[in-house]
Amino acid sequence: MTGQPTTPIASARGLVKTYGKGDTAVHALAGVDVDFGRGELTAIMGPSGSGKSTLMHCMAGLDRTDAGTVVVDGLEVSGMNERRLTKLRRDRLGFVFQAFNLVPTLTALENITLPLDIARRPVDREHLATVVEAVGLADRLSHKPSELSGGQQQRVACARALVTRPAVVFADEPTGNLDSASSAEVLGFLRRSVDELGQSVVMVTHDPTSASYAHRVLFLADGRLVGELTDPTPESVLATLAALRPARAGSADSSLVAAAQTAAL
Amino acid sequence: MGRVALRGIRAHLVRFLLSLLAVALGVAFVAGTFALRTMLSGTFDGIVDAAAPADAYVRVQQAEGSSVVTGEADATGASVPRTLVDEVADVEGVAHAIPDVQGPIVLVGADGTAVQSTQAPSFALMYVPDDPSLDVVEGRGPQRPGEVALESATLDSSGLAVGDTTDAVLGGQVTQVEIVGRVDAGGPMAGATIVFVDEQTGMDVLAPEGGVGDIAVYAADGTTVDQLVDRLSPLVPDGLEVVTGDALRTENKDEIASQLGFVTTFLLVFAGIALFVGAFIISNTFSMSVRQRMRELALLRAVGASPSQVFASVLVQAAVVGLVGSTLGILGGLGLVSLLRVGLGAVGMDLVGSIPVDTTTIVVSLVVGTAVSVLAAALPARRAALVPPVEAMRDEVATPERSLRWRAIGGLAVTTLGAAAVVAALVRPESDRAETALGVGAAAVLVGVLMLSPTVARTAVGVLAWPFVRLLRPVGRLARGNVVRNPRRTANTAGALMIGMALVGAVSVIAVTAQQSVAAVVEAQTNADVVVRSATNVIPAGAVDDVAALPETGRSDAIAFAPLGVTAGDTAPEVQYVIGVGAGTLGGSVEVDVVDGALDTLGAGQVAVQESAAETNGWGVGDTLTVAGVDGSQDLVVTAVFTTNVLGAPLVVDQGVLDGLVPREQQQVDTILVAAADGVSTSELKAAVSEAVAPYVVVSVLTRAEFVSSLADQVKQVLVILYALLGLSLVIAVLGIVNTLALSVIERTREIGLLRAVGLGRLQLAGTVTIESVLTAVFGTVLGLGVGVALASTLPTVFADEGLSTLVVPWGTLAGMLVLAVVVGVFAAVWPATRAARLKVLDAVAYE
Repeated sequence: MTGQPTTPIASARGLVKTYGKGDTAVHALAGVDVDFGRGELTAIMGPSGSGKSTLMHCMAGLDRTDAGTVVVDGLEVSGMNERRLTKLRRDRLGFVFQAFNLVPTLTALENITLPLDIARRPVDREHLATVVEAVGLADRLSHKPSELSGGQQQRVACARALVTRPAVVFADEPTGNLDSASSAEVLGFLRRSVDELGQSVVMVTHDPTSASYAHRVLFLADGRLVGELTDPTPESVLATLAALRPARAGSADSSLVAAAQTAAL
Repeated sequence: MGRVALRGIRAHLVRFLLSLLAVALGVAFVAGTFALRTMLSGTFDGIVDAAAPADAYVRVQQAEGSSVVTGEADATGASVPRTLVDEVADVEGVAHAIPDVQGPIVLVGADGTAVQSTQAPSFALMYVPDDPSLDVVEGRGPQRPGEVALESATLDSSGLAVGDTTDAVLGGQVTQVEIVGRVDAGGPMAGATIVFVDEQTGMDVLAPEGGVGDIAVYAADGTTVDQLVDRLSPLVPDGLEVVTGDALRTENKDEIASQLGFVTTFLLVFAGIALFVGAFIISNTFSMSVRQRMRELALLRAVGASPSQVFASVLVQAAVVGLVGSTLGILGGLGLVSLLRVGLGAVGMDLVGSIPVDTTTIVVSLVVGTAVSVLAAALPARRAALVPPVEAMRDEVATPERSLRWRAIGGLAVTTLGAAAVVAALVRPESDRAETALGVGAAAVLVGVLMLSPTVARTAVGVLAWPFVRLLRPVGRLARGNVVRNPRRTANTAGALMIGMALVGAVSVIAVTAQQSVAAVVEAQTNADVVVRSATNVIPAGAVDDVAALPETGRSDAIAFAPLGVTAGDTAPEVQYVIGVGAGTLGGSVEVDVVDGALDTLGAGQVAVQESAAETNGWGVGDTLTVAGVDGSQDLVVTAVFTTNVLGAPLVVDQGVLDGLVPREQQQVDTILVAAADGVSTSELKAAVSEAVAPYVVVSVLTRAEFVSSLADQVKQVLVILYALLGLSLVIAVLGIVNTLALSVIERTREIGLLRAVGLGRLQLAGTVTIESVLTAVFGTVLGLGVGVALASTLPTVFADEGLSTLVVPWGTLAGMLVLAVVVGVFAAVWPATRAARLKVLDAVAYE
């Protein structure tokens, strides 16, 4: 445990996101309050449709919220226009997606420095070297993505996410398409970036082993925060998931709440 | 499955609009070309029928290679004696024997300027009252000198009315004439100005030697054409012949058809280009559609549709697009031709009334449009049908790029062969086949480069993109990557622009080279202060005399010429233009380079020949040429071989010799070179000459500088036509680029989402798409201009003897074309770039 952070790097209050309207409305997020710690690797877990990806997209300014506030690195994200959102993503956030992380026409190195190029910021050679060293890709920098393995591609993506020294890195199922060995490399790297570089990382996953690399795991179900675990192991994550299962009976409640909210509108 | 296919079109109507537009454009050109040709040949056939309506003709025996249409044959030797007309009329079974007598005339219209439309001729015809082909619809026919009747269209365009009095330049003199009638000549005359004069004037002025062009013979009832020919044949002397009206008309129509064939070929080439690009756009559109519907198609496969059913459903869509597009195209083509007809009518060129809508045009257009669509969709359809259902359910559907090797080898082979032909033409420019070799070689080089273009795309775009990559980080690099990612597609997209630009590059080089060559020649080889020219290319004899008589005139050289029959030894007579010059003109007003012999003493019994003609015909100093004209023939000895670019004719004789061969009235003067008398300035001379020729209406006076710039204006007219066609290829190119970019944006949805997620702004994204578009357009333009200019650069060598002396590359125009390409690129990118910028980041990156 790296000690409780005094101020969270990102937080949300009363976050609501609804898809569709009327009878067909789906509440992806039904009022979520959450804090992500500075200098921590936080994992978000939950079954399919629990809203974990939506939560991350809303936190990262990729998706608009219907209600509630999101603050990242002291800036209120909800309410930003497209221009400011673009600037936020460019300057303060890093992203690692499940697949298709790299621009196929650029080399690995060009992909890594892409956010700096876009922002027209000079490349910090020292930091770049550190990051490249950390992902272990020094000899493959001139290769195109098609010449890299899946694990290497994800490591390039991680390097790209870190090279701008972002406030937070958002990783959406970063190991979803990888074998276990490659997964371990990528997750190990993400964890080291927190421990050694002081980076803050938020990661969405459905895999207990992946979640066990985190400092803290948040559990989501039906658009609500339903549990939390610090310093997890694969076993404790599985146990928590199992313990949460009966709580799904309570999903009737949330439906009622949702119906009440809809009626109130 | 058919229903699924049709629903697909309805659901994605916008996407198919580009395809529809592309097919419609291509088919519009095909249909328009056919309709235009039908209309033109209909009009000219009508003229031929109206101009040669008789059952049989007595005419001068036709020498090989002579032109019936231009009437050059009339001047080669003897004409038909006037006295023969009465003899023919007396033959049993002859109803009418009408002598054809015609000559040049300038008619002054109501606005005080010459009645003349575009390039159509203006001529006077002798009116014979019992000519059954003419129909006096108002007033009466001309009966005495000073009276004329006008052909209907001429009367309308002149702005005059029956009863008016106006001026005409006839037989070289300005005459006042009264319009006494309106005559219908049996059909539209395509803008020709036709004035009917009375018989006395006709014989005195137009046929002073008593010879007529031909005699039109009409059979009486009960006499067949064959009988007529049989009875007439014994009557005609040597050198004349009797032909049936049908034979004459066929002859004339064939000649017109071969001249129109060139126009048709040219237009069909453009239709071909339009359809090629259309096919490419259709193929792209269906690739897009198939790619986007991969899951839908896979679902169909999964629920039991066979590959051939999926294949057929895509083809059905293509056929519908093709049919609808072709139909729109046919309407568009006919609309284009209607516009063209209105336009031509406005400048005085009447074409036959109705737009021809024949079944052939419609069927050919429909079949071509639909077939091209279906063929273009076949490849994407095959891909749709063959992808396994499971594969399609996944996200990434990679379409492997086929190897470019065979295309590169083929392109290299075609380019090399073409270049070899061009080089062969360059090495032996005097060879008869040099021009053919050059033409075929040039076409082959163009096709070869088109085939090679995907291979060179990577390198070429890399170079072109360099400034963008350097200046616009990272947008330039992203754009370059996207353009070279699929070189085949980039090259095909740039193809339309490349062909158009190759044409423009070649023609502007040729045009400027020709203009500069002529200007250089005028500067170097004439010593005239002012040049007198005529809009009808005929300067009346009166004007020639008036200019010569001016006190301000120091020296006046009228360049008179006439087509004459030329024989060397035993060869058949050939029609050649012969120029008559006064003593001292050569070496005086006109500078010439004498290659062989001497020019000092060009006089009776002598002729000087241009080097090019001497080479072609094997003439040399000391040879004897027999030159025959209306007034007989003379044996002339070649005394000099020379080169000059001022005189257009191969043979030059003393004016006295020419006068002995052809009466002055039948010689044509198209240029007078005037030098000022001592102490007279150029402007004084110009003012005096202008005043002297003012009554002759069509005659203009130019200083040397003005003369050069008037030559430049002619060049500009040629360019205007080319630019109109360039405009078309630009429209097609824009459609192609828009379509390719739209496809590319759809294919790259995720990549775009990723870029946006890592912070690429909307403007930067739009900039990337725009640079891609500009790179593609500039690539096509550079390639096209390069090929065009390179090919055109060879022309001065091959055509050196036709006046192209100095190669000039119009860098300004070429730079303008590059700027135009950039504008086209930016314009084409507007829609796809907007589309890309509007993509939602999340739609692009989310996978749930």
